[in-house]
Amino acid sequence: MTLTKLENPFTFKRALVVNVVKEAPDTNTYIIKLNETYTANPGQFNMIYVYGLGEIPISLSNLPEHRGTYTLVNHTIRIVGAVTRAVMLHVGAGSQVGVRGPYGNGWPMREIEGRDIVIVAGGIGMAPLRPVIKYIENNRERYGRVNILYGARNPELLLYKYELNKYTVIPNTKLLLSSDIPAEGWLHYVGFVTDLINYVDVDLKNAIALVCGPEIMMKVAIKNLLKKGFKNEDIFISMERRMRCGIGVCGTCQFGHYFICKDGPVFRYSDIEEYFWVEGI
Amino acid sequence: MIKVPELQQVKLYAGKLSDLERVMEYLRQRFNGATFMGYKLQNSMPVFGEINSLSDMPIRVSDIQRPGYYELIAGYRFRLSYASPKWYLLPPEHSILKVSPDYEFVDSTNNSLANKVVMFGIKSCDLNAIAVLDAILIGKHPIYTKKRSSVIAIIIEECLEPAETCFCSITGTGPTVLKGYDLAYARLDEDTVIFKAGSTLGEEIIKATGLREAVQEQVKSYYNAVERAMSIMSTRLPHLEEIQKALRRNVINEKLWKTLSEKCTGCGNCNYVCPTCFCVEIVDRVEESYTTRTALWTACCTYTYGLVAGGHFRRDLYMRYRHFILHKFLFYPKQTGGLLGCVGCGRCTTWCPLGLDLKETLVKVVEEVR
Repeated sequence: MTLTKLENPFTFKRALVVNVVKEAPDTNTYIIKLNETYTANPGQFNMIYVYGLGEIPISLSNLPEHRGTYTLVNHTIRIVGAVTRAVMLHVGAGSQVGVRGPYGNGWPMREIEGRDIVIVAGGIGMAPLRPVIKYIENNRERYGRVNILYGARNPELLLYKYELNKYTVIPNTKLLLSSDIPAEGWLHYVGFVTDLINYVDVDLKNAIALVCGPEIMMKVAIKNLLKKGFKNEDIFISMERRMRCGIGVCGTCQFGHYFICKDGPVFRYSDIEEYFWVEGI
Repeated sequence: MIKVPELQQVKLYAGKLSDLERVMEYLRQRFNGATFMGYKLQNSMPVFGEINSLSDMPIRVSDIQRPGYYELIAGYRFRLSYASPKWYLLPPEHSILKVSPDYEFVDSTNNSLANKVVMFGIKSCDLNAIAVLDAILIGKHPIYTKKRSSVIAIIIEECLEPAETCFCSITGTGPTVLKGYDLAYARLDEDTVIFKAGSTLGEEIIKATGLREAVQEQVKSYYNAVERAMSIMSTRLPHLEEIQKALRRNVINEKLWKTLSEKCTGCGNCNYVCPTCFCVEIVDRVEESYTTRTALWTACCTYTYGLVAGGHFRRDLYMRYRHFILHKFLFYPKQTGGLLGCVGCGRCTTWCPLGLDLKETLVKVVEEVR
């Protein structure tokens, strides 16, 4: 058999962390400089490598920002495991990391043009949806009404607090925030973010929903969206699994017959419905 | 399932074991410097590795296989070892990248890989397993791609008697081969070998070694043996379509999967010996001046499969055992453009320490819907 020489897909780009923004007690946004013109769709992810420890799949939490010969990309990272802990404790401005990507399909920005959009984000699930908001802001005429529903366990855990209010200035955009528990000074909704689906302002015949958060939250979101009148094929969710390669060869991110890394991480609900409610599939 | 009439269009040649030796010799000269990989005996135990001569191969033994049991006795019906061509193509541990603390690549390719490999004496199930791995990995996995493209010839040994754990006629992956090989041979008896060509190289080998066309008696007993092997295996399981239909209907049958996985310990042996299982973990092996990004086989039946820092997506054992079964029979075909992930070799059953029988699992799933 003949094969063209395969470049090693595991090689990464050396990247410099130029700034770190504190988002929440356990979460930072890292602004990383790549010495190339790098592009990615909202919802795609990179594999971030820390020397000697390993790689983790992390969504881009902003649109790549082109600055002449280099590009700035954002990654919002919360401490959950060994690599994220290492990033949090040892990676600061001036540190190097390895970056390869972008991987995955991202949100269907083209397909949803002209539609009313409901964004439902829970906790760190806001990270892959933030580029969607920025993208819509930059191309406002291409999309219909936008409803951003964003909640966290408590107000302190909300990300991007410094810019959330600015989303309300985007024309025809509604922002609904929630906190699972009451907190001092919290004037927004108290309860689950998925409850806010009741209050969206859309034309149901022409609306789509983009959902990201913990799986339990996405399950409730889907139930509520369906109850509200959304169709199966108009709901998109972004999923996560154990993931080692990002290119569909390590097998560890399988979800039914899908590889989350290359067939996702964004899925149309109607495509995964048969697996979504089967625990542990 | 392969139909016998389809086979009868292939011209058969007959020879002796010594002719098989001459085939090997011819290939050695034809592909000067090539490494021969196949089943061989190492300290009287069969493994998969480099062969230097026919005498390295398990040609004078038969394997006895049962759930959780493997033994070699004197004979000429060697089926397979726990190791398959996967051991060469996607080794249990392989380096994918070397990185310095400055994030520089120390050396991103492994130059020690053989550049010409002849697969010699692998089985029909093995050949089908390679096709499955190709569909998933080729052009994407750097080590697999490199090793796979080093294979310049494939010589198949067909099994004329299945082991107790075999069911390749159900999965449509044996015992005979129809395509994707250069030369195939089958041992009619202790010394008689039937040959057939599957490519121009195969024809060239037959011509160069002066093999004679098989006489009618030999042709007849070859086909009889194939038919017998197929009919023995056909009684072991329902039709594939019925198995798949039953699996689809029982995906959500938690109670059934809990029962089926009762004997499973989650050790992952079935995954490691499976010739199509390809899942790997990637870990760092740190040394003084660099780290080696190393891929290690992982197994969907083991606890860490589906475990993430923030939780566990396959917490219970039945979920992981179910993934093993569903992946082979329902998911692989969707991932590979139609190829079944199970090639019917039975290794998962033979090397299950508790003798959990895949066939029994499948039969029970089918019975559940009957």
